[in-house]
Amino acid sequence: MKVDHSFFEEVSARSGQDLSRCFHCMCCSGGCPVAHGMDYLPNQILRMIQLGMRQEVLESRAIWLCIGCYACVTECPNRVHIPYMMDALREIALHEQVRIGEPDIWAFHREFLKQVGKRGRIYELEFMARYKLATGNLFQDAVMGMKMFRLGRLELLPSSVKHKEIMKKIREACDE
Amino acid sequence: MSNVRNTGEKRLRRVHYYPGCSLMSSARDFGTSLFQMFRLMGTWVEPLEDWNCCGASPAHSVNPDYATLLAGRNILLAERQGIDDLYVVCPSCFVRLRTAEKILATDASMNAKLAKACGREYEGGVRLKFTPEILSDAPSVFEKAVVNPLAGLRGVLYFGCLLTRPEWITGFDIRPYEKKLKKLVNVLDVETLDWSHSKQCCGSHLAVTKPDMVDGMVDRIRDHARRAGANCIIAFCPLCQVNLELRGKEVEPLPVFYISELIGLAAKLPGHEGWVKKHLVDPRPLLNSLGLV
Ligand code: SF4
Ligand code: SF4
Repeated sequence: MKVDHSFFEEVSARSGQDLSRCFHCMCCSGGCPVAHGMDYLPNQILRMIQLGMRQEVLESRAIWLCIGCYACVTECPNRVHIPYMMDALREIALHEQVRIGEPDIWAFHREFLKQVGKRGRIYELEFMARYKLATGNLFQDAVMGMKMFRLGRLELLPSSVKHKEIMKKIREACDE
Repeated sequence: MSNVRNTGEKRLRRVHYYPGCSLMSSARDFGTSLFQMFRLMGTWVEPLEDWNCCGASPAHSVNPDYATLLAGRNILLAERQGIDDLYVVCPSCFVRLRTAEKILATDASMNAKLAKACGREYEGGVRLKFTPEILSDAPSVFEKAVVNPLAGLRGVLYFGCLLTRPEWITGFDIRPYEKKLKKLVNVLDVETLDWSHSKQCCGSHLAVTKPDMVDGMVDRIRDHARRAGANCIIAFCPLCQVNLELRGKEVEPLPVFYISELIGLAAKLPGHEGWVKKHLVDPRPLLNSLGLV
C-alpha cells in the first residue's frame, strides 16, 4: 500500500508542527477534557493525517470539538501542539468546503466573527439571536437567557470601534 | 508621557488595561470590582482607547492570521497611545494578545499585513501583563484593607485552562504564581482546600453549542469541589465564572466567586452588595448563614 503524504505535509506546514514526532503514547487523548464526545481521539486524528485519510479527518466532529484548552500540549512528551494542528484542519475544511462535522459549532464561530467584522466588538444579544436563528435551536436556554437579562448581565446596546471600516481592512489583509 | 495622574489629594499611578468583550457586558460587575481593587492599590485605571475584540476562540479556530491581526491591532494601538504596560483581565484575551505579539515579533510578513490594514507596523514597545499577576504581588495591601474577614468560606481555587497552562506564552513560572494567588485569597480569611480539578476545562464555548456535554464537565468539577469540602469555587476568569454557574445538572450547584468580588466583600468596597446579586447561583444564602453580608 502506498501512502499519500501530501495531506500530512500540508497540515504540518500550515500548523507549523512536526507531526512525525508523535509516537502515539495517547497522553494527549488521556488529558483531553472533551475526548469522550469526539468521534476520533486527538492522537487518532494525528495518525489519520499520517495515513493520508484526508476526507475522514476534515469531516470529523473531533476537529470542531477541540476547544484549544492546551491540556494536551502540557501532556505531550514530544511537544506536539495539537490545538494548532486542529486550527489548521478547520481552516482547510472550510477552504475545501467539505461537509462540516459539527455545523452548530461552525455557526457559533461564524456568527461571532460576523459581529467582530461588523463593529469590532461582540454584541451578545444580537450574537445569541443570530446563532439561534442559524442553528434552529430557538428555545434552548431561553430561560437561562432571560435570567441573565433580568440580572442585568447582558448589555442592552452594542458598542463599537470608532471607525468601523478598519475591521473590513483587517479582514481583507488576511484574505489576500 | 507622565505615568502619574494628579487627583488633588494624592498622586495615583496610571494603569492601562485591555477591557475585552465580557468585561464590558456579562462580566461588567466583576470588571467594576476589579477597578475598585486597582484603586485600593493606589492606581488609576484607564481603558485602551478604541480597542477591538481579540477574536477569542472563533478567530484562531478558523483563521489564525485573522486572529493575529485582530489581537495585533490592539497592541499597535497601545504602542501608539504611549502605553508601556497593558494589563489584560481575561486569561483568554491574554493568550490571544501574547500569541499575536510573539508572531508579530518573529514573522515580518504578518507585521507587514498589520501595517497594510492599520497603517503601521508594531515595533515591540508594549509589555503585556496579566492582571492577577499585579494583584498577587501585593497581598499586604489587601490584607490591610480587610474589614469583613470572610471566615467560614471554604473555597477551591479554579484556574481553568489558560490562566496557567501555556507557560511559554504566559512567560511566568507557574508554581510560585499559584501560591501567590492562594495567599491573596487567604489574607481575606478564606480557607483554601486542595483538590484535583483546578485546571480541568469549564467547557469554554461548548457551553453554548454542546450544553449536555458541558453539563457533565461542570458536574464533575462541582462534585470534586464538594468532595474536597468546599462551599464555594473561586475563579480568575470571567468566562469560567459564567460557565461554572450556568451549566451542570446533577450535582448541587456551588456559588462561584470572581477573585475581585471576594476582595470587594472583605474590604466592603463600594458596590459589593450589588455584585453578589448578579450570580446565576445565588451566593447570598451562604454569605448570610456565615454572617458575611
Ligand atoms: S501526547 Fe504527543 S506523542 Fe503522545 S500521542 Fe499525543 S501527540 Fe502523539
Ligand atoms: S486543546 Fe483540544 S485536543 Fe487538546 S486537550 Fe484541549 S480540547 Fe483536547
